[in-house]
Amino acid sequence: MTRRITWSALAFAAAALAAGSAMAQKKGGDVVIAITQAPPAVDAHVTSAQAARNITLHIFETLYARDEKAQPQPELAEGVNISADGLTYVFPLRKGVKFHNGKEMTSADVVASLERYRKVGASATLLGQIDTVSASGPYEVTIKLKTVQSTFLDNLSSPRAPIAIYPAEEAAKAANQINYIGTGPYRFVEYKPDSHVKLVRYDGYSQNPKATGRDGFAGKKEVYLDTVTFRFMPEAGARNAAFEAGEVHLVETVDGPTAKRFANNSKIAIHKALPFALQVIKFNHAQAPGNDVNFRLAVQTAIDMEEIMAIAFADIYQMDPSWLYPGSHAHNDAGKARYNTADLKAAKALLDKSSYKKEKLIFMVDSGRQNVDTATVIQQRLKEIGIDIELKVADWPTVSKIGFTKEGWNFWAHGFGIEPYEGPASVMSPWVNGTSQQAKDEKIDRLFDQLNREMDVNKRKALFTEFQQHMWDNAIAMKAGNYGLFQVATTRLKNFTPYRIPRMWGVWLE
Amino acid sequence: MLGFLTRRLAGAFLVLLLVSVLSFGIIWLVPGDPAAVFLDAGATPDQVERLRRELGLDKPLAMQVVEWYSRILKGDLGRSILLSRGVTEAIIERLPVTLSLAGISLVLSVVAGVAAGMVAATKHGQPVDQAVMAGALFGLSIPEFWLGLVLIVVFAVQLGVLPTGGFVPPTESITGWIRSITLPAIALAVVHMGFIARMTRAALLEVLSQDFIRTADSKGLTRLHILLRHGLPNALIPILTVTGIVAGSLLGGTVIIEQVFSIPGVGRLIIGAILSRDFPVIQGGLLFVALVYLTINLLVDICYAIVDPRVRLE
Repeated sequence: MTRRITWSALAFAAAALAAGSAMAQKKGGDVVIAITQAPPAVDAHVTSAQAARNITLHIFETLYARDEKAQPQPELAEGVNISADGLTYVFPLRKGVKFHNGKEMTSADVVASLERYRKVGASATLLGQIDTVSASGPYEVTIKLKTVQSTFLDNLSSPRAPIAIYPAEEAAKAANQINYIGTGPYRFVEYKPDSHVKLVRYDGYSQNPKATGRDGFAGKKEVYLDTVTFRFMPEAGARNAAFEAGEVHLVETVDGPTAKRFANNSKIAIHKALPFALQVIKFNHAQAPGNDVNFRLAVQTAIDMEEIMAIAFADIYQMDPSWLYPGSHAHNDAGKARYNTADLKAAKALLDKSSYKKEKLIFMVDSGRQNVDTATVIQQRLKEIGIDIELKVADWPTVSKIGFTKEGWNFWAHGFGIEPYEGPASVMSPWVNGTSQQAKDEKIDRLFDQLNREMDVNKRKALFTEFQQHMWDNAIAMKAGNYGLFQVATTRLKNFTPYRIPRMWGVWLE
Repeated sequence: MLGFLTRRLAGAFLVLLLVSVLSFGIIWLVPGDPAAVFLDAGATPDQVERLRRELGLDKPLAMQVVEWYSRILKGDLGRSILLSRGVTEAIIERLPVTLSLAGISLVLSVVAGVAAGMVAATKHGQPVDQAVMAGALFGLSIPEFWLGLVLIVVFAVQLGVLPTGGFVPPTESITGWIRSITLPAIALAVVHMGFIARMTRAALLEVLSQDFIRTADSKGLTRLHILLRHGLPNALIPILTVTGIVAGSLLGGTVIIEQVFSIPGVGRLIIGAILSRDFPVIQGGLLFVALVYLTINLLVDICYAIVDPRVRLE
């Protein structure tokens, strides 16, 4: 009897709690998010800019999407059947999924979208191994690959420049000429250039029946808000002021001192999106002395990585030798012994063995404060072992143009955000064919090729560990640490958790 | 008058031609292109090159020059790479925003600046003069963006009486428009108020020391009558010159103020285009700004002749 009463009481309490929680979730409200720049496009296929992802991943969905741990999960597809030879992928599609124009999604839309992405996609190489895409039924799509690609589902679910599914008639249009019609939980309303993008809740949204809760870019996407407006506010001071005045409910990023100032305000919640990126320092291997491994190792040995992170990313960094984020299946500590050594004596010995002739070297960075801080700390540190560095600061288009050429720079620092999130292949890819270091590295090319062909997860992890060890042993490039973003939100915005984008599903306004 | 206008228009055409050459040349000298904005830091050169082809940026320089001039001669400023619309259309969309901001700032600057200059001139050497001139100097020295942020903090964040930014078109709400334009217009006007006040004071002081003012005074006219009927009209030429300069300068100022207050005007369009290397918008925007400057200068010259018949346009 007692036991029965106890169980009944527990069941009642659980029901009451569930009801209370459901009651707390309130439908309605308009949220305004301040983002730092306007998206270059709202056509998800054509841009891999973060500003665009913030918006497009609310409007559009993909066949597969990444979950909270960045693993690919079925989204518009019900799943996948992979042939024994690893060359054929058959995707049964979810039935009854409606586009924002009311039309049901079929295989014709998926085929047209994938074909369009192969032509105009900002990261079309993600689908580079596709041989053919065809509709094998009204709700089934078959993809044949040219060669085995272990990362194919990773690629298909990449949020970098999302391989969004558009209605076939939109997918037939040229880049940037589409109407923004997707299957996502929000519907596009308006884009006022230099001002904002406004989205409204899509009441006809088809929830993934297998989803149980909010899970990365996949999972359940329950929308309580009526509208979400992304305001483009390039000035940090203006963003923060708008937030303090209550005109904005969430700020995509604030600096450390501002987060500290807000921390005492009971109406403001400070969120840490950590890790959000790796701070990477590249060497130009096409130019002396960057082509000398002793010089690169001397620099790597001399640098105090923690000093860089503490100054450039105060209160929002992690020290970690891995080129992947903690939690990733291939995260490892290979090369740990060479990370953050800050040993000036050993560095001087290595420098003496190198071909460095006291010439002035160029450290190139964009005008982002954290990157300038990184370069300045390194400049001062390396001065102590006699390396003469001149800083060259320019805007991002200039720096990114010069940084992929063989001349005009020796060092370049910037963040790698999406690559470690996507996984081992994406981290390795920038170093393949010498793209980022400007000199081919046979070992990296071989490991990348092996990784792409290897279907066994553990063997892939071993290959990535070998790559990471190689990066540290040869100072191909240096990783200072993981950094994050401070995001601030009104405490009225409930159930918000930071992720790669400020997700506006599963949240409500009180 | 006709000869004057013909000569000035011919000169303006040459200046516009020069601006078009310079804007094209500068863009080609600065590294980087819009592909960097579409793609993230991890984009490979292959991806960048592919996008450049898509955007038509891989065409030879000579072909781009020919296309540029054949377009502008037809009055077509080209098509924005990032905005998916014509440059002329993009400018026209934003023009009312910038014109209302610059126009209200100009009125504020002229009214307040001339009034302050008149007060200072009539109270020459007295504490009022010193206070007005100190205020004018202070106004001249304040950076517009700093003043903008201070105004936001005081009036929007602390007092909560005005919005922090954004723009409400007058067609949507007149009060909303006034509320959205007030702080940016003040931030933009303060520097120019100081400039106009100092110039007005200097010009008036010179006029007020003339014999005809002494004559008017000896006729028993009131100080206000002398100031408004004889003093100010004779001091108008330098004030008009300064107003012309201010009108042009306000357009430059909108670039900063529109950024600070998140106002979608022409200034923000151009600065955004520069940062994202949207070449057609930069070229078209610069040409447009040059055209506005030339028009203002032409209007000021015509006003000289209206204000002072001794100025002969021929």
